Amino acid sequence: MFTLIIGGSASGKSRYAESLFGPGTAAPRFYIATMGLFDQECQARAARHKAQRAGRGFETVERCLDLAGLELPKGSQALLEDMGNLVANELYSPGGAGPGTAKAVLAGIDRLTARCGELVVVSNEVFLGGRDYVGDTLHYMKALAEINRAMAARADRAVEVVCGLTVFHKGGAGLCG
Amino acid sequence: MIFITGPLFAGKKQYVRTLGLDPDSPEVACGAQELARTQKDLEALADGLAQKRAVICTEVGGGIVPMDREERLFRERAGRLSVLLAQRAETVVRVWCGLPEILKGEPPC
Repeated sequence: MFTLIIGGSASGKSRYAESLFGPGTAAPRFYIATMGLFDQECQARAARHKAQRAGRGFETVERCLDLAGLELPKGSQALLEDMGNLVANELYSPGGAGPGTAKAVLAGIDRLTARCGELVVVSNEVFLGGRDYVGDTLHYMKALAEINRAMAARADRAVEVVCGLTVFHKGGAGLCG
Repeated sequence: MIFITGPLFAGKKQYVRTLGLDPDSPEVACGAQELARTQKDLEALADGLAQKRAVICTEVGGGIVPMDREERLFRERAGRLSVLLAQRAETVVRVWCGLPEILKGEPPC
């Protein structure tokens, strides 16, 4: 099952995503971290998330670029967090996919859905701050929006998280396997 | 406590009036997200606000993450405060284009 979770800053989307993974599973379980640990703020965020998901048996895989090149064992469970960072990395870091970002990322998603019995992707609501954006920021927003729409179309369920509560736009509640 | 959230100018105060509450009275906290700028202890802030009849927070975390560090941290603190208030509320309502959507609990009236 493929679950897409979208929310704004500090909306509770990570906590909800982690809560979908029950305590015990025989399947290998991976946390795909897309944010490069560039500065103290990123490191503090990563540490907070790591503490939050402790005890759920996730093995952390750092993947800032090239999602399609990630090889996970067949039948894995995976939580990818978050799409907003991956898209920024692909668009703007050296070695990223640049103008081919949406295509590259979606190929990675297709690869993951083929390999994973359970896939949860956390993405970002960044489209409610007006439309006064130009240049790189606008390109970023368009790429992320295209990817969000394509993921929502492919997903078995699409969930928006608002102040820690869920709005189901597609599919229903229930734990991953 | 009824927690009301939603985008800017979505009709949150107007919705509060339909509940027979005056958004300018002391029993209602309006624009409570701004309190997250200065108050260090968000749990204590949420506990205090939970004593009100209704609390209104504008959703501020749904735009592009700001370059300015202070603004970025404010949005995160405002988001966390909203999560804490939603946990404490009997009812959570998100007002969108003037339309109330119940996210938690029963419709207040």
